[in-house]
Formats: sequence, structure tokens, C-alpha cells
Amino acid sequence: MSKKSPESLLPLTPAVLHILLVLADGERHGYAIAQEVEAMSDGQVRMGPGTLYGSILRMTDSDLLEEVTGRPKADGDERRRYYRLTPFGRQVLTLELARLTAVMNVARRKQLLGAPLAEGTA
Amino acid sequence: MSDHPRPTRLSRLLARCYPRELREEYADEMARFIDDARRDSRNAGNPFGAFGVAATLTRDALVSLAASMRHDAPRPLRSRTSDVLLVKTFRSFSMEAFLQDIKYALRGFARRPAFTAVALITLALGIGGNSAVFTLINAVLLQSLPYPNPDQLVYIRGANETSKQHLVSAPDLLDLRARNRTFQDIGIARTQSVNLTGGDRPDRVIGNFVSASALALLGATTVLGRTFTEEETRIGAGEQVVVLSYATWQARYGGRADIIGQKLMLNGRPHTVIGVTVASFQDPTPSDLWLPISSAPSRGWFDRNSPTVFGVGRLKPGFTVADGQKDLAAIMAQLAAEYHGGNLKETVAVSDMRESMVGGARFTLMVLFGAVVAVLLIACVNIANLQLVRASTRQREMSIRAAMGANRTRLVAQTLVESLMLAVAGGVLGVIIGQFGIKFLVRVMPGNVPILGALEPDSRVLAFSFALALLTGVLFGAPAAFSGTRTNLQGALRMRTDTTSTGRFNVRNVLVISELALCVVLLAVAGLFTRSMQSLQRIETGFNAEQVLTAEFRLPAVKYDDNLKIRQFMRTALERLRAAPGVVSAAYVGAVPLSGNYDNVPYLAQGQTDIAPDKAPRSLFTTISNQYFRTMQIPVLAGRDFQADDVMGSEPVAIVNKIFADKAWPGETAVGKTVRLQLQPALTVRIVGVVGAIKQYTLTEETQPQLYASHEQNIGIFTSVVMRTAGDPNAMSRALHDAIWSVDRDQPIWKVRSLQSLVDRDLSSTRVSVSIISAFALLALLLGTIGVYGVMSFAVQLRSREMGIRMALGARTTQVLSLIMRSGLEVVTIALIIGVAGAMAAGKFVQSRLYNIGPSDPATMLGVPLLLGAVALLACWLPARRAARVDPAVTLRGE
Repeated sequence: MSKKSPESLLPLTPAVLHILLVLADGERHGYAIAQEVEAMSDGQVRMGPGTLYGSILRMTDSDLLEEVTGRPKADGDERRRYYRLTPFGRQVLTLELARLTAVMNVARRKQLLGAPLAEGTA
Repeated sequence: MSDHPRPTRLSRLLARCYPRELREEYADEMARFIDDARRDSRNAGNPFGAFGVAATLTRDALVSLAASMRHDAPRPLRSRTSDVLLVKTFRSFSMEAFLQDIKYALRGFARRPAFTAVALITLALGIGGNSAVFTLINAVLLQSLPYPNPDQLVYIRGANETSKQHLVSAPDLLDLRARNRTFQDIGIARTQSVNLTGGDRPDRVIGNFVSASALALLGATTVLGRTFTEEETRIGAGEQVVVLSYATWQARYGGRADIIGQKLMLNGRPHTVIGVTVASFQDPTPSDLWLPISSAPSRGWFDRNSPTVFGVGRLKPGFTVADGQKDLAAIMAQLAAEYHGGNLKETVAVSDMRESMVGGARFTLMVLFGAVVAVLLIACVNIANLQLVRASTRQREMSIRAAMGANRTRLVAQTLVESLMLAVAGGVLGVIIGQFGIKFLVRVMPGNVPILGALEPDSRVLAFSFALALLTGVLFGAPAAFSGTRTNLQGALRMRTDTTSTGRFNVRNVLVISELALCVVLLAVAGLFTRSMQSLQRIETGFNAEQVLTAEFRLPAVKYDDNLKIRQFMRTALERLRAAPGVVSAAYVGAVPLSGNYDNVPYLAQGQTDIAPDKAPRSLFTTISNQYFRTMQIPVLAGRDFQADDVMGSEPVAIVNKIFADKAWPGETAVGKTVRLQLQPALTVRIVGVVGAIKQYTLTEETQPQLYASHEQNIGIFTSVVMRTAGDPNAMSRALHDAIWSVDRDQPIWKVRSLQSLVDRDLSSTRVSVSIISAFALLALLLGTIGVYGVMSFAVQLRSREMGIRMALGARTTQVLSLIMRSGLEVVTIALIIGVAGAMAAGKFVQSRLYNIGPSDPATMLGVPLLLGAVALLACWLPARRAARVDPAVTLRGE
């Protein structure tokens, strides 16, 4: 895969964003990623195997993730495949978070957060 | 973490449900994932966990499959669909875009279940009605007759200046067969009831007396035995043999193979069964069995001067009906010269078999078809309106998409896909509903619609329904697709929804106008038929049909071979009938009114100069016993009824109706005059009475001259019975049978029915047409009203801002109300004017079926628009009043 500019990948889908967030903490295998995403989002984002591995496939293709090779047998299960962020992946995550922060800042300036939403304003 | 070195089989199986690209790379990983998920849900102790996992997996697999269908490499990470923003560059048609349109449409339907349900039901009913009627039209008018090369088949009937429907003589037909150059073959046929005896009780079957050629040219084949040979049907020779229809063989003889060679007693003579036709063979004139023409019940059938049969023919390839007609007419002229000294004006009429069988039904079917198509069109207009309303609320969405680069073709396509999906779904439901509809239609259809083909939805019906569904989808989708996507970017993005044109001829108004105009046409046609029905019901029959039972019988000529025996039977039977308890009076009549039987005769009234028989005036000719008038309660205006001393040997007497008397001897006394009846041989009768006129053949006929001859003096083997009863006539059927059977227990009796049922039957075909068309018209009215209401409501809603401003500037409620009503009134008036014009045209089309009502009957043509106008204005007034009542401040703030 040719390397793209990080901006060209934005905005990210919720699944991609959450996987990046989980992997920011370190290496994980597939099922662990799904569980952590679910916990992190208070059960809002549940990923099945298709969504998860579909995202992993595309993220690997885009060089956001890489599979960990030659990993020591930490928990005695060498068959599982572990993933971690690439530096490019970390860069994309930072940019996306910056974009979201900008959005949040706008919302804050408009006092849309914190105070209950006013009725009838659409 | 995993307890198992390898994932379980079930998990591996489940993992296989995912797209190939994922399986190739992650099959084991995904199976492990599923294993883990199952284990965790078990450990969580949730008894329904498995369902949760199953649901998650199902959804996940579907999403993945959908995603893999959409994706083309390279797969980007950013949202492709509406997840984040409606960022999507539409290309011209692609499978991907098409699938996405379908997805959008499905989502849209789910979001609007009420609209979807209403639209689907409307479409299913509309298309279902069309599908049902088309199935009927297909079976009656489109499918070919079930014979080889059916286009070559014709009927040959007797014809003269006044009629093309009567019988021809068998010798003439034989000569036509021998001398023609245009026919492959010509056959003789004549159906008549046949007495079948020798079973448990005497019975009557429909026999067709045919020549061998008739069955051969229809392509009749047999499951057992054979059909006739030329020798077996030769007039003057012949064999006493019979061929059974498959249905008769099954119903009466249980499909026994040893039926061949058995003897059946038909009309008192033994006939040997030689064959059974195949199940699929159907005589054009429904028959239970076929007999050789040589077995005809009377020698008169072989007389050149007595037309008693009709012909069936098969043209040679390359010859038309007109060629055949010319050929046979020339031969008939030769025959007239050879046998009648050239002064017989009788000829033959050759007619296409299919056309003469179904021609009468075409009109009924076409009116029916017109009505269902109109209802479907109205339904289309309604759905189109709903779509338009929705389109205008989606104006902003469309504008945004257009701003993002969506081209209009894509937007139009997407809206159309939605409509087409609705239409096709409606079509599928419609075909199913149509199958119930067809059963209903066949049950209520007048009996004169001959169903020749199968009533199954063949490929033609399915193709028709599918095409109709597509057309419907385009029809109701197009207005919304084209006007809804005509985006005005700036206007729409400025969050203004009142940019829709308010002119008189915007799309919505045109739709409402066409809808209302169609309503007027349908209602007017229904109105015309209803008014016609009313005048039919007011028709005076001239007799009292209540509490009269009728029946028919024919004595077997073999057993009753001279007039003495016949007269003996007739006298005794009538005495026993009159003596039966509950019988007020009873009489014989040759042809019961409205039974379909009738006979007429050329006559020469006393004082008229001699005229040739074919130029002489004709009169209905009916033989009756005495007490016929008393039984029927027909008034005797002058003279007397027949008496016991009017017998064979005394002076031949007759009674005429008032029309006859007035026509033959205007201003003179009819009683005592004589009439020469041009029968073979001629007979002079003296008039002894004058009676009131009755409807003899149909209710709608002009009352005609009618002459009643004495049954005693014109004794025959066939007669009908009329019997006035003290109570319910239908309960007297047993008494009637007993009286006849007490004289001859082998004598079959048939068509035992009340006179009232004959009167009702005569009205029934009209009544059915009236009720079907009225039902459609009411449906149209309902749909039309809903349509007008919907459009006016929406128009008012669009103008609420304007109304608010007007009222804020001091306009009174009544002014606002009249403003809205005026625009509604304009639309309704235009619609009514167009509608009435259409209704007048439709009236001309159905004119021939109207009784005593003109095609532009003022009551209908004024009443219908008034009714519809009132309903339509009410539909305008309700939303208008709502608009005029709102507080202007609220409306303006709402913007």
C-alpha cells in the first residue's frame, strides 16, 4: 500500500477510531480489542468478528496497524495474532482527535455542552 | 486464554459465513473470537446469552457482507456512507449505487410504515383488480380456442334480411359441404336435450346431434374407442351409436373401461357406446354426449324446408371468413334456384367461431377493464401526491446532496428506485390478490361470458401484471422524482420550504384535476348503468311472475309415435297437475316467457293482400293449453280463452295479443277475423280472443305481435308447464314430478324453476355490471376525496406563512378562507368540466347497453359533478378552515 497523507483518511469511522484508541495502550489480540472497545464505550460500540477483522484488514492495508511478530509467549497462546499501532497510525489518531477537539470546542463555545439541550432548537 | 488448541467446529462453521476476503486472512482468528464470545456469554450466566451472541453475529455477518459488496479496492478507512456526513460522489449507474438505492429505499420504508402500508395496500388492490380482470380477458378473449388451427374454424348459420342467427336445413348443409371450394370440411351440429332412461330414474342429458365431419374438424380424439365414421352418421342410414364426453363417462359411469359396447336408452332407443372423448376436448356448445345426426328425434330434421341445424366449418389454409361467405352464399343461391324456384331469400352467414362465441362478452369485459384501469390510475395519482409531499419535505436533503456533487440523474434514479420497489412489491401482492379476485369475478359474472381458456395466471398474465407494476411505479414515481429533485440550492439551503410553485398548473394540481376528472367519468358511467337498471326494474312484464313454477319435458318420439298417444299423455298429465294439492291452476305453453325459448311465424291477416312468405310480417307464435292466461294472470281483453271443445277436427282457433290485433286490423274488432299462418303446410286460424301483450324473449324488447295457437290442435312432443301455486312455488317441485311420473314413470322433466327466477335472470347480467361498476366508482370517489384533501391540506400548509402575514396585516378569517377556497374551487371546476366531457364520451361507448337512458342523461351528467364537487369542496374546506383559524403569530414564529 502506498503511503497516503494522514489527512486523507479523515474522518474515521467509529470502529477504526475505537480500535486505534485501544491499541494506543499497547499490543492486543482481536477479541481483547473488541472487549476493551465495548468497555470503553459503556457498551455503545459492540464489534462482531466481521466488523473487527474487516477494520483490522483495512487498517493493516493502510499501514495504521501491524501484526506483532516474534512475540514472546506471554500467556502461553502463541497461536493468537497480536496487533499494535504503527507510528503512522499514531499520527492519524492524533490528527483525528485534534479534529474532534476542534468540533468540541465549537460546541463548547456555543454552550451546547454541559447545559441541557434547549427544546425546539433544531 | 483459550482452553482449546483449536476453535470448536461450530465456531469455525460460523466464521465461514463471512466474506471471502476476511476468511482468507482471519478464518482461525474469527473462529476463536466467536469461541471466546460464546464462552464469555455462558460464563456471564445469562440464559439468553446464546441468543444475544447469535443476534450480534447475524447482524455482524450481514454488515460485513454488505460492506464487501460495496467496497472496491483500495478500501479507504473513512466513512463511505452517511455515517459521518452525506459525503458521496454519485457516479452514473453502477451496481454499487443501485444496491445503495435499494438500501436507502428500504430504510425509508421502515421509517414511514404508515405511508408504506397505505401505498402497498392501494397498489396491491389496484394491480390485483387489473390482474384479475386481465386473467378473465385472457381466458375469454386472448387465449385461442382449444382446437387445432382454431383460426380456420367458423360457424355457418341461416341468414336473411332480418337475422343472421337462425338455423339452416341439414340437406342444404350437405350440399354446401359437397359443392364448396373454400372449406376443408363442413359438419352438422345441433344440441338438444335427450331423455336418458334405463337408470334409477329418468334423466335428461344434453346431446349434440352431429355428422362425423363435425367432430373430425374440431380435432376430437378419444381416450376409449373412437368417434363416428361417415357411414354411422349418414342421414337415412346411420347407426344407433353414441360417443360420451369424458365428464359424462366419469360422472355417470365412474370411468369404467367396459362402457364401450354398452347400450344406453336415448330418446327411447338403444344406442351403443363406441367412444369416450379425451378430457381436454370441449364441444363449442357444451354437450354431455354426441349422437349421429341420423338419430335425430324427428324426421323433420332431414327436410330441406325446415331449418333445424347449424354448421361448423374449417376453412382451407389461405381462405378468409369472407371468402367462405362468398363461396357458400353463391351455392345457397343455386340451391334456392334448384329447390325453391329462386324465390327463397334464405342464405347463410359464415362467422369466425371465436368471435361468435365471445363477441357478446367483449363489451362487458372492456367496461370492467376500463373501470379497474381508472381506479388504478386514481390510486397512482394518490400515491404520486403522497410522494410529492414527501419530496418537498426532502427538498433540503436533495439540495445538500446536489451541493455535495450528486448529479440530478442519480437523485432521480434513487427516487424512482424507491417507487419501483413499492410498485413491484404491490404487483406481487396484487397477483396474489388477483387470484382471489378472479374466483369472485367468475362467480358473479353474468352467465353469458364464455370462459374458453384456463383461468390460471399464465405467462401472459404474469407479464401483464409485472409490466403494469413497472408502469405504475414510473407513473406515480415520476412527478416526485422530477419535480422533487429540481433543486433550488440557494432557496432550499435558506431553510425555506414555501418555494414550491403556487400557480394553477403545478404538478400537484394537474394530478388532482386528472384524478377528479377520472372520478367523474367512473361515477357517471356507474350512474348511467344505475339509472338504466332502475328503468329495467320498472318494466311491465305483462304477467304476474309471483308464485308460478315452470318446467319442460319432451316425450320420446319412439314411445309416443302418434298424436293419439301424445294427446292422451298430455291430457292426463295436465288433469293430474291441476288436481295436485296446492296448485291453483296449470297450463301448457310451448315457450315460457323469458326462458329463452320462442318461435315465430310469417302470417297473412284477413284483408291483407297475398305476400311471399319471406316478405310477410312475422309474429311470435306460441302454442298454449287453456287456462294459460289465468295461470299467468295475463288479462283477456276481448273474446275468450281456449275451451274444451277446441279440439282436433273443430275449427282451428287462435288468440292474439293487443299489438297483433292493432297492427293487423287497426280500429276493427279482431275477434272473428282469420289469419293464415305460413307454416308447412299453411294453416288458417280464426281469432277467438285478444289478450294483453307480454315480454316473451327479453325484458328489454319492444312488445311484439304474438299469436297463441291451441295446444290441443297443434299437438307436439315438447312442451313446458306453468303452474300457479298457493304457496312457495319452489316447494311444489315434488308435486309436479309426481303428477307427471304418475302417468309415465320414465319421463324426465327438467328446468324446474320459478317464473320469478327467469325474470331475475334477465336482469342479473345488468345487475352484476351495475354493482361491479358502482363498487369501482365508489372506490374511485373515496380515493379521489382523499387525494383532494391531501393536496389541499398540503397546499394550505405551504401557504400558512402567507396566511399568517395576511392576517397579521388585518385580513379577516373569512377573507383568508375564501382565498383558499377560491384556489380549490378553480381546480375542482376545471376537473369537473374535463370529467363531464369524458363522461359524455364514455356514455356514448356504453350507450348500446343502456335501457331508456340517453348517453348524456341530464340527471347523471348534472348530479355526478354536483355530488363530486360538493365532496371535493368539503375536502378543501376542512384544511382551509384550519388555516384560517391559526394564530398568525404562531405561524410566523414557526418560520
